[in-house]
Amino acid sequence: MPTGSVATSRSRDEIADAIRTLSPAEWARLRKVAARYAFGRPIEAKDLLQEAMARATDGRTCPAHVDVVKFLAEAMRSIAHGEAEKVEHRLPLVSVAKTGDHQSEALNYPDQALNPEERMLHEEEAERIRHELLALFDDDPVAQVIVEGIMDGMEGEELREFTDLDETAYDSKRKLIRRRIDKKYPEGWKP
Amino acid sequence: MTGRDDKQREALKRLADALVDDILNTSDGDILAEFRETHGDPDRHAVEMRDLFEKTVIAANKRRLAAAKAGVAASRRSRPTIAMPVDITEARRRLRAILQAPNAPRRFTLAARKESELSDADVLGMLDDLRELGLFLPDDEKSGGS
Repeated sequence: MPTGSVATSRSRDEIADAIRTLSPAEWARLRKVAARYAFGRPIEAKDLLQEAMARATDGRTCPAHVDVVKFLAEAMRSIAHGEAEKVEHRLPLVSVAKTGDHQSEALNYPDQALNPEERMLHEEEAERIRHELLALFDDDPVAQVIVEGIMDGMEGEELREFTDLDETAYDSKRKLIRRRIDKKYPEGWKP
Repeated sequence: MTGRDDKQREALKRLADALVDDILNTSDGDILAEFRETHGDPDRHAVEMRDLFEKTVIAANKRRLAAAKAGVAASRRSRPTIAMPVDITEARRRLRAILQAPNAPRRFTLAARKESELSDADVLGMLDDLRELGLFLPDDEKSGGS
């Protein structure tokens, strides 16, 4: 260990202090992130953000160089995408059964593993959402192609070249897509 | 697990990731303007969210406290008995005193009619049993009586 090394991760108190001092713009950003990750999921955006904050201050490691907004955004992603069960993301959550503390229920989301029937239902629901999203851009075929391309796994430059847009026009189109979806589903997609 | 069965869900995840990347890279000014349009006053929202955060912290602290209490209780329950040096002569004297008392449990008096024939381990075992039954308290050891 080199001498004079600095702490590589934030303590729980440091994370809490960083959250307490978030600006209105940062809170707004987090709320938007929450809405996007809650999209099509059985969780409200606000609840998702609260869950991320709970995990952030309950033992999750936040590298000192990582911005707290990005850290919370990643926590929300992890929860929403069901990656929270992975060992590298696992937190020392206390089970309700162990403590009898019902407040812990907020931290104990149902098992992310779906049985085949549930998976089929979720898949049907996801397909419905996909069609609904694409229909938002019926008047803008280029935007529609971009949305479809993103969903099909195309990224950055490949997607831009595919649409034949220059960088500025492409960025502008991405902004239009995000704003239209935000506006239509400010709290995420609800059935 | 992902695969062909999750194709649509995976597609939505990719879109969410892309939109979030865009949100994280948008200027504060644009975010605030957009927020006003869709959600209202961002300052009020910030106050609400800070309040929500403090509630979250309080709930987490209560949870940690409950877990700590449960841990201490479990640790007490599983704490091994520390073997102390025993004066076996004194132990035999105590056992005799208890068994000779008028209210001594019958099953013990029958088993220990001939205390002198009991092994040291039997004597200590019986004292343990009596202690568990509440007929012989640790304080009795200090006072030396039953």
